Amino acid sequence: MKQRVGLVVGVGLILVWCLLPVVWIVSLSLKDAVAVTNGSPGFFPADGAFAGFDNYRDAWGNDQFRRAIINSLGISLISTTLSVILATLAAYAIARLEFRGKKLVLTTALAIAMFPVVALVSPLFDMWRAVGLYDTWPGLIIPYMSFTLPLAIWTLAAFFREIPWELEQAAQVDGATSWQAFRKVIVPLAAPGVFTAAILTFFFAWNDFVFGITLTSTEAARPIPASLSFFVGADPFNRPASLLAAGAVIATIPIVIIVLIFQRKIVAGLTSGAVKG
Amino acid sequence: MAVATLTCGLLAACSNGSDKPTLNWYINPDGQATLTELAAACSTDDYDIEIQLLPTGATDQRTQLARRLAASDSETNLMSLDPVFVPEFANAGWIAQWPEDLAAEVLDDDVLSGPAETVRWDDGVYAAPQWANTQVLWYRKSLAEAAGLDMSQPVTWSQVIDAAASQGGTVGVQADRYEAYMVWINSLVAGAGGEIVSATETGSDAEVEIDSEAGRAAATVVQELADSGAAQPDLSVSREGTSLPFMFEGPGEFMTNWTFVYKNYEPTDGGAFTQEQFDDLGWARYPQTVEGEESRPPVGGIDIAVGEFTDNKDFAFEAARCVSSPEAQKQLAVNDGLMPSRQSVYDDQELIDAFDPSLLTLFQESLESGAPRPKSAYYNLISGAIQASWHSPTEVDPDSTPADSADYLRAVLRSEALL
Amino acid sequence: MSAVAPPVRDDQQREKPSPGKADRPEVSDRARQEQRLAQRLVAPAVVIMLLVTAFPILRALYLSFYTYSLTSPEDRAFIGIDNYVTALTDGLFWRDIGVTVLYMVVTVGIELVIGFAFAMVMHRVVFARGLIRTSILIPYGIITVVSGFAWQFAFTYQNGFINGWLPGIGDSFNWFGETTPAVIAIMVSEIWKTTPFMSLLLLAGLAQVSDDMIEAAKVDGATWWQRLWRVILPNMRAAIMVAVLFRALDAYRIFDNIFVMTSGAVGTESISFLVYRQTIEQFQLGMGSALSVLLFLSVLLVAFLIVKLFRVDLAKARGEE
Repeated sequence: MKQRVGLVVGVGLILVWCLLPVVWIVSLSLKDAVAVTNGSPGFFPADGAFAGFDNYRDAWGNDQFRRAIINSLGISLISTTLSVILATLAAYAIARLEFRGKKLVLTTALAIAMFPVVALVSPLFDMWRAVGLYDTWPGLIIPYMSFTLPLAIWTLAAFFREIPWELEQAAQVDGATSWQAFRKVIVPLAAPGVFTAAILTFFFAWNDFVFGITLTSTEAARPIPASLSFFVGADPFNRPASLLAAGAVIATIPIVIIVLIFQRKIVAGLTSGAVKG
Repeated sequence: MAVATLTCGLLAACSNGSDKPTLNWYINPDGQATLTELAAACSTDDYDIEIQLLPTGATDQRTQLARRLAASDSETNLMSLDPVFVPEFANAGWIAQWPEDLAAEVLDDDVLSGPAETVRWDDGVYAAPQWANTQVLWYRKSLAEAAGLDMSQPVTWSQVIDAAASQGGTVGVQADRYEAYMVWINSLVAGAGGEIVSATETGSDAEVEIDSEAGRAAATVVQELADSGAAQPDLSVSREGTSLPFMFEGPGEFMTNWTFVYKNYEPTDGGAFTQEQFDDLGWARYPQTVEGEESRPPVGGIDIAVGEFTDNKDFAFEAARCVSSPEAQKQLAVNDGLMPSRQSVYDDQELIDAFDPSLLTLFQESLESGAPRPKSAYYNLISGAIQASWHSPTEVDPDSTPADSADYLRAVLRSEALL
Repeated sequence: MSAVAPPVRDDQQREKPSPGKADRPEVSDRARQEQRLAQRLVAPAVVIMLLVTAFPILRALYLSFYTYSLTSPEDRAFIGIDNYVTALTDGLFWRDIGVTVLYMVVTVGIELVIGFAFAMVMHRVVFARGLIRTSILIPYGIITVVSGFAWQFAFTYQNGFINGWLPGIGDSFNWFGETTPAVIAIMVSEIWKTTPFMSLLLLAGLAQVSDDMIEAAKVDGATWWQRLWRVILPNMRAAIMVAVLFRALDAYRIFDNIFVMTSGAVGTESISFLVYRQTIEQFQLGMGSALSVLLFLSVLLVAFLIVKLFRVDLAKARGEE
């Protein structure tokens, strides 16, 4: 009984820890912009300082912000897709084939996962302006791929090692063509791994800030985290806290949707697929 | 705004399918709405002007522009440039020198001497002054009255701080670690008859002068405010916007701030301020650092420069001239409180109607006696080193800060210390 | 940068019969074919990974021996190791290293404790699992910049709630005015966002500890505390070490929260932030490159120290043998 109470308290603490700041930013986004400029402390909007959805309308009505959302969605989705495709090929080779340099590939990936990204931005900026990739979508897609490939390769290789590949041969013996065997047997087994890798890759790309601020300079490619940090409201002399909060909430919606739908898979991917002590 | 509307209508009609060049104009966020109208009004049959918005801080604006220009970007055509960065950009070959005939036009006798000086570099003209900014001492009349401070006479920082503290009021300044803190320090030093650096035309060999009586007088003011009850709680992160709410809260405040403040407090329908509050708003000349020595108010503003790598330089110069014309300056002043860099515009009836005449006189006087910041291709280093060693304001000490900052600035200019 | 942990594999991994190994002296056609196929499959990923890392770091190494500012490119000159000498004898450099190590040690330490507590709860709990999973993934998935804003506004006295909630703190206390409170505010944002990740890694480790062993200890009369220290923790050592290694390297590179919350003012700057300012804000490509190289080397050093100090088995982390 005592233990059960302890568990309930523990669960309560976890929920408060995880959700309180989220509730706070939502609450801030509902505060009236003028009241915020003049100072309106407190967790919830004070009486008369409740703005309803005004801030959301303003944030969404801001052209720069909308462009940034589109950039982020496009860039993140494209780099996720490409990264997962390349990682699948590499992970298949690592899990199933014997070849020289396998260790080297895995070590390289590990080293890149530890790489201090900031150390790269200056030479990368130089390179990109020389080849005309500065402030373009591919200019961000390429580095996002480089830095998500290690994670994707590791996760996928771990999944692929678990797949009983003999089943493929068994199916072929039973008369399936190799394509059928692959599609009907291997794909369903590998899909969860590919999926997990895709979600983790998407999170990385969506979250990136360093490349976002250094390799872009207009809304032609500026992703949402960079755009939020440069966000200018109607009043250039005050950081528009409530408007920014509304923008932040909008930028969090895709994450919440993904989490709501795929929570079980992500946790499985992060834990069973990724770490076995 | 009839012109703007008309051009907009035409724009929609003629931009379809034509391959008219588009000039990108990078603007800072002050007066966005008016600048957008100007961009439309100054677009012609030959080219369209499109607005690109820069971040809020002067340092961030410089970073964004410089990164594009360092990449030899041909699509950075027009830019609103903080005057302090003109030498650096001109020196790096990033902004175009104006042809003599055009330069003579945008820099005729009508232009105030302060703003005119900011666009010259190495005997050339590199930008057109668009608007000029200066700071005055804004204050709540009832607060000054209660403290018994006679605002018709020049006041000193010390008097202002004491007056505010005596009534439980505050003094608003800009002392976050950013460009406007440098602006404050520069004016304090100049107000005591000194300079932060001299011989700036020698670049990194400039003479560092801040370890002086004037430097110590400036540090004394900063320390006095930081130690006083009149300091606002967020002194060390205070910016132009953070001290605005204190004006009509409690006993009110004294605040050194730019010209836009007047329009900020103007009562509007559904706005935050009442006519009664607005009537309680006073203004005076920037405070003196040393009693009896004339104050040297901060000056700033925006110059319009043309990117060196731009494909249609002729169009760009023409567009730059248009957006900095007297008419454009009048609109910026009337709509946004961004003051003209041309003498004649101050005499315009619309401007006189929009502002209090005494305020217009004060602005002009402040601009004329203002203290420009060091004009150097290494300005960014100078400003950065001063900000680093004078921040946080709560730790400024007249006995050590000026000397330490001088050593540090020298080392930074010689690339012997990290900034 | 969200933390990335590699899969860690069991020791007793099924050793796949490898044709390559069996007949190494004379490589068979089949093995050669397999080799070629594998290399083709791996090549695109390796090229992309190296494109953005290898060349830039070599270029940084090269530029680090020059004085080179983007604002006066014609003044570029070879100066040998002067940039390194300047950096390594500079107070700011060492101060930033110190602050960075402080961020790393404090955040990872706190995350480890709280993350372990969360993992214990999640391991035991039988109800509301979907709700807990969803909640715990939100900080993990949220943009760091958003977390930075949320906490920054929470700490400001103008619009926040923390001054009102914390006893003994004045309503107008300015968290961003001095080093200590500002560093605490940044750490809070960092810890909030990354603890869930830590707890998930530890949860996986916890799942590896066999219940039989815990039961046996219980039967032997071990207290809860003894079971924790003698049975549970030693058995999830590998999971803990890998979590610490990856979170520590991640924390060492802290940047986003500092950028958003203080822009590096009042002594909150990390070494990554210093590199950023030199290269991107000051355009000092020579000095910035030298600092980049030093940052890179210091990351390697930190990784090496953690691996040595805690004897993390990298072979396990690499998924080999």
